[in-house]
Amino acid sequence: MPDLTLMLKLFAPVLAAGALSGGSTAAVGVYVVGMRVPLLGVCISHAALAGAVLGALAGLSGEWLMAPALGAAMAAALLLGLLDPRRLRADANVTMGFLFVLMLGLTFLGIGLLERQGSGREAAMGLLWGGLTFCTWRDVAYMAVVAAAQVGFLATFGKEMRAILFSRDHAAASGVRVGAVWTGFLVLTSAALAVNFQTVGGLMIYGLMVCPAAGAFQLVRGHGRALLVAVAMGAASGVGGFLLALWGNVPSAGAMIVLLAAGLAVAAWMGGRLRRG
Amino acid sequence: MSGVIDITELEVRAGRTRLLHVDRWSVKAGEMHVVLGPNGAGKSTLLRALTGFVRPASGRACVLGEDVTTLGFRAMGHLRRRVAYMPQVLPPGGEMPLTVREVVAIGRTGLVGLGRRLRREDWRVVDAWIDRLGLAPVAGRRYSDGSGGEQRKTLIAKAMVQQPELLLLDEPTANLDLRWREEVVDAIETVHADEGVTTVMVCHELDVVPPSCDGLLLLEDGRAVAAGTEREVLTDVNVARLFGARVHVVWSDGRAAALPVGRGGEDA
Repeated sequence: MPDLTLMLKLFAPVLAAGALSGGSTAAVGVYVVGMRVPLLGVCISHAALAGAVLGALAGLSGEWLMAPALGAAMAAALLLGLLDPRRLRADANVTMGFLFVLMLGLTFLGIGLLERQGSGREAAMGLLWGGLTFCTWRDVAYMAVVAAAQVGFLATFGKEMRAILFSRDHAAASGVRVGAVWTGFLVLTSAALAVNFQTVGGLMIYGLMVCPAAGAFQLVRGHGRALLVAVAMGAASGVGGFLLALWGNVPSAGAMIVLLAAGLAVAAWMGGRLRRG
Repeated sequence: MSGVIDITELEVRAGRTRLLHVDRWSVKAGEMHVVLGPNGAGKSTLLRALTGFVRPASGRACVLGEDVTTLGFRAMGHLRRRVAYMPQVLPPGGEMPLTVREVVAIGRTGLVGLGRRLRREDWRVVDAWIDRLGLAPVAGRRYSDGSGGEQRKTLIAKAMVQQPELLLLDEPTANLDLRWREEVVDAIETVHADEGVTTVMVCHELDVVPPSCDGLLLLEDGRAVAAGTEREVLTDVNVARLFGARVHVVWSDGRAAALPVGRGGEDA
C-alpha cells in the first residue's frame, strides 16, 4: 500500500501544474472556440514550440527554453493581432493555417538539426509530448503568475471580451477598442501557451484549449458560466489525466487528452438531453 | 451645416473602382430616413463611411458635427459611442454561448468605458429595452438559438441600450418572413416615435419603409439618383429603373409596395 501522504507530497506540484495548465488553456479556448478561430491557438502554441526548439538548438535547456518559446509565441500573437481579417482577401483561418504549418515546418526542421547534434532527441520529444511528471514548484509558480494575469485581464476587460466574442465588427461599432483589447488577449494567450506547453507538449495543448470550451458550450449558457465550466473541466482533466497516467503507467499528456475527449462526449450527450428536456 | 448627417461630395473608392458618390445629403435631428437601392448600390458602404469603417477618398461627411473623413482613431471611438450602428451581417452563432440579455448588454460596453464594469443602472436599461421589444421570454436563452427575427430585435435592443443620438440600421429586415419583417419594422417605428432618435435605415424592399419615414435616398451603382419624400421618390419610373423590372408602386396606409407589371400591364 503506497503512503498517500508521501505520494501527495511528491506529486503536489504535478497536480497543481495539471490544474493550472488545464484551467489556463481552457480559458483561452473559450474565446478561440467561441470566435471560431481554433487555429489561432494552434498557431501560437506551435510558434512557442518552434521557439523552444530553436532555443534548444542554441544550447538552452529546462526552464530557459521558456524564454525563446515566449518570444516566438508573442511575435506570432502580435502578428496575428496586426492582421485585420476585414482587410485580408483570404479568410483569417487560412492565414493562421499558413502560419501554423510554417511553425510546424520550423519545429521539425529544428528537431532534425537537434537529432544531428546527437543529444537533442529526448529534449525534442519532451517539447512535443510534454512532461507533466517532472514539473517543479518553480514551474507551478510561472504558471500561477500567468493564470493570475489571465484572471486579472478577464476581470478587468470581461465585458470587452464578451463583445469581441460576439463579433469584432459589432464590438467596434459600439465603440469598443477592439484592437487594444484583442492584442492584450493575444499577448496573454501566448504567455499562457508558452508556460504550459512544456507540461502537456506542443501537440497536445490544442486539445486542452478546444475540448473544455466545446464541452462547456454544450452544457451552459452565458459568458461567465461557460468560462467557469471550461476552466473547471480543463483543471479537472489536468489533474485527472495525471492520476490516470499514474494508475495506468501511461504518458500523462495522452491520458489527459483521452479524458478530455471523454468529457466532451459526455458533455455533448448531456447537452443534447438538456436541450430536448 | 446643422444636420445630424451632412454629406457634401462624398466619394468612396476601392482602388480605381468608385463604390459611392453622393453630392449632397442631409438628415436633421429626430428624422427617419431610408436609403434604398438594389444589391451593390453602395448602401452599406454609405453607412460604413459614416461610421469610419471605410475611409472616403474625398468629400465631407459630418456626423453629429464631426467630419468623419478627418477624424482620428480616438475621436472616432468617441463618436461611435454616440452612434448606434447595426451592421448587415449577423454574427455566426453556432458556438457562442451568449444569452440574448448578454448580447443586448454589449451595447453598453463602449458607453461605460474600457475596463469598467456594468453597473446596476446599466442592467436596468438593458432589461427595460428587452421588455420594450418583447424579448423578455427569450432573454435567458442563447442568442444563437433565436430565430432570425428575434436576433434582429436583439440587435436593435443592443443598439438602443447605447442611448444613441443616431441610429444606423443596415438591412434590419433582410431574410425575414413577413411576420418577423413587420415585427422588426414595428420595433423600429416604436424606437423612433418614443425616443425621437434620428434614424437611417438601409433596405432594398419598398414595403419595409416605415410610414414615419421623413426622407428617402435612392442609390444606384454607387450614385445618389433621387432624394426627397417617399411620394416624390417612389415613383413607378424610379423604382422600375432601380430594380430593372416593370413595376407599379401601390400605396396603403402610408406604405408603399412594388407590384410587378407584366407585358400587358405596361399597355394598360
